Amino acid sequence: MFSEVELLRTVIMLQKNLGQDKLASQRCIVTQLLRRLSMEKASEHEGYFLNVTGLKRIGKGQAIGRSGYTFFPVKFTCRTFMPVPGETLQGVVYRVCRTGAFMSCGPVNVVFLSTLKMPGYHYVAGEEPFFLGSDLSKIETGVVVQFVVLAVRWIENVYGRKELQMLASILGDNLGPISLCEW
Amino acid sequence: MSGEEEENAAELKIGDEFLKAKCLMNCEVSLILDHKYEQLRHMSEDPLNQVSQVFEKSLQYVKRFSRYKNPDAVRQVREILSRYQLTEFELCVLGNLCPETVEEAIAMVPSMKSC
Repeated sequence: MFSEVELLRTVIMLQKNLGQDKLASQRCIVTQLLRRLSMEKASEHEGYFLNVTGLKRIGKGQAIGRSGYTFFPVKFTCRTFMPVPGETLQGVVYRVCRTGAFMSCGPVNVVFLSTLKMPGYHYVAGEEPFFLGSDLSKIETGVVVQFVVLAVRWIENVYGRKELQMLASILGDNLGPISLCEW
Repeated sequence: MSGEEEENAAELKIGDEFLKAKCLMNCEVSLILDHKYEQLRHMSEDPLNQVSQVFEKSLQYVKRFSRYKNPDAVRQVREILSRYQLTEFELCVLGNLCPETVEEAIAMVPSMKSC
């Protein structure tokens, strides 16, 4: 789900980088905040950060001893994408394997639909494998699938990879591959 | 996996942050991000270089899966759905999925059964 949320972040500034007047300082702090968010990309509880929509408040700076650094608490609004278990979403299949299908959904690159959660479909091997349903519908590369989110996982590893991954299911009504003409 | 308090959108157990936040439909996000992209296009020869991968993928997603393209239609959808006692989350799910029957709507948004 896309939403607009209020977030709080601490921005660390070198005192010498702060401008002479309040406006210049504010500009430096906002620039640093945007830089930080663009590096952060996403967080476990807030999802993916799309864009900052408004600045609510820059709190009072707190200097850290004689280090030359100052902390500023910044409250702002931001558009985010955060999938929620139980939510119905659409994804595009980009890889099919024996155990299931991988889809992308917005900024989420890994949405896994297991064979256990696609009843009535069986795997058809070949150069371009696909899943064939009992109603002759296909789940193959490029197909749009309407699914329900089973679970969401946050991945953060030592290589700097930070992302959300989802487990999907098409068990239920109105779920499964969607005909192209509808979209 | 996430779910400290057994999050489940079907029962509207979606956490305080979602209950307080303003949820947005895909069509609304499409208009907003498209407008932002156009602004960048005017400012730079290569706007794709200016936006993050998250922005680009989100824009592609909402442009593809928006049910409404016309800004007036988008506004009307929110206005009409707001007349009913729906939470922001339920409103946006209905606006995104556009169920054709009551049964379909309840299947997609089970928390509406109590409405």
